[in-house]
Amino acid sequence: MITNQLALIQRELWEHRSLYVVPAILGLLLVLVEITGQVSISAFGTHIDMALLGATNISANERGAAISAMLATSSILFVIAMLFIAVFYALDTLYAERKDKSILFWRSMPVTDAETVISKLITAVILIPLVTLAIIAASHIIMLVVTSIWIGLRGANAWHLIWSAVPLLDNWAATLIFVLALSLWLSPFVGWFLLVSAYTKRSPILMAVLPIILLTMLERIILGSTLLWHAVTFRTAGIPIFRDHNFDSLFSRGTLAEVAQDGISLVSMLDVGRFLASPGLWVGLVVCGLFVTAAIYVRRFRGDS
Amino acid sequence: MSSVVQARNVSKSFGATKAVDNVSFDIEGGRITGLIGPNGAGKTTLLKAVLGLTDCEGSLSVLGLDPFRQRKELMQNICFIADVAVLPRWIKVSQLLDFVEAVHPKFSRKSADDLLAQTKVSANAKVRELSKGMVTQLHLSIIMAIDAKLLILDEPTLGLDIIFRKEFYTNLLNDYFDGERTIIITTHQIEEIENLLTDVMFINDGRLVLNSSMETLPERYSELMTSGENTDKARKFGPFYEREVFGKTVLTFEGVNRDELSAFGELRTPDIADLFVAKVKGMAQ
Repeated sequence: MITNQLALIQRELWEHRSLYVVPAILGLLLVLVEITGQVSISAFGTHIDMALLGATNISANERGAAISAMLATSSILFVIAMLFIAVFYALDTLYAERKDKSILFWRSMPVTDAETVISKLITAVILIPLVTLAIIAASHIIMLVVTSIWIGLRGANAWHLIWSAVPLLDNWAATLIFVLALSLWLSPFVGWFLLVSAYTKRSPILMAVLPIILLTMLERIILGSTLLWHAVTFRTAGIPIFRDHNFDSLFSRGTLAEVAQDGISLVSMLDVGRFLASPGLWVGLVVCGLFVTAAIYVRRFRGDS
Repeated sequence: MSSVVQARNVSKSFGATKAVDNVSFDIEGGRITGLIGPNGAGKTTLLKAVLGLTDCEGSLSVLGLDPFRQRKELMQNICFIADVAVLPRWIKVSQLLDFVEAVHPKFSRKSADDLLAQTKVSANAKVRELSKGMVTQLHLSIIMAIDAKLLILDEPTLGLDIIFRKEFYTNLLNDYFDGERTIIITTHQIEEIENLLTDVMFINDGRLVLNSSMETLPERYSELMTSGENTDKARKFGPFYEREVFGKTVLTFEGVNRDELSAFGELRTPDIADLFVAKVKGMAQ
């Protein structure tokens, strides 16, 4: 069971190389942008550019906060890319195997349809975030190494100014929690996309979006209600994981110096308890489970047609 | 030996069309059965039902299992090659072998590597870079390395050149068939497999029109080449199919005593291809 699952997930990585190639290219681009000296960031109401990193007149806490914020901002780009990758992966995976008939080969192996579809769910909801995190961490390290060289060439102590000041592990832990929570939160969409992928004969993207639009309109016309629309927008509007404030209010709290007086911890901004206690999460997981079950049955009965 | 495949009143419809129509048969262990029929006769659908790839009506038991509901258990003991290239094109040969090794308890990596070493298929190549013949060789090497009880081949040599086809069937008999394994083959090139079959089944319009062992065919079927007034005399024995060859008439009989017919012309046992045409066209006549 577990050997099968590992082999199946390994298989997904072989087939869908874009899962790691796309974020890796994004990481390379960011490093390139940094190297050409284009990075300058406005955050915390203070203008920060790379020159600031070499400045010795701000505290280690402030410098750590500034760099951590810069890194977190770059992570957001990866998270956006991750969402696109997961959507296209889930829409394609069960469709492509029917299109190229390889489903006949996969089903000639002693592997159940449930095992196969679940491996695709695990790939979309857990593997893609983990891969994203790994590439985020690697790109952070490369960016900081580049910065260290830059600072070192100006005669400053990069270890002191950067590596000992930046709470990297905190940053990565927060990113890990956030990407996993986000993909669990959005899992009903993944389930729906897998079902569409297993079912549709053409254009999975269109077949994923059209029914939602049509059903929303029909509900409005026939029942006069907007439940489906609210269910979709509720989930895309935000994720209940931030501690009593969101990023907007955080950024409006004042200057860098004020925010970063006691150091900055991204993990402390997340409230895992609140996330796990939110009914929206559990309702979403149940909906995801229903869609995935349906996808398993469709794969069983539909075959290669 | 007990039946490897047991089908009772198996049917499968797609909308209004019946692809397989009330078919019943048994296939014993250790036999090589040829399933023969024109395009669209229902061969592939029937095989898919046997493989548990599609649901069907009636009762079907393969190796004592319900193929559709116990596909995973079944696939540990069955191998098949479909009529279309089904190996994923993006995968590398070595990855494919790694995958099968991980999920298939009866797969021998060593045998597969040995078999592939005899071909030009390189472990680093992707399937999409291989020629059609090499893809078939690869698929075959994998399947031959699986210690399965039942092997199902649906048009295994489609689109391959004659040298490869000959080699394929020679290897199949020499390396794979050990008298205990059971093989089901469909093909259009009937004459190529004729002498390796032990049993033959004809299927037409979803129905089974013939199911016989090769040994009993000569007792049941005979073909008489005749001309002139003998033709009318022979017709009294009720041939089920007639055709003209070089001005002579060829009549095909079922269950008629050979001694009675031999007086009217040249008598022989029809080969499978002729018998097939006679059966299918004879039904239409």
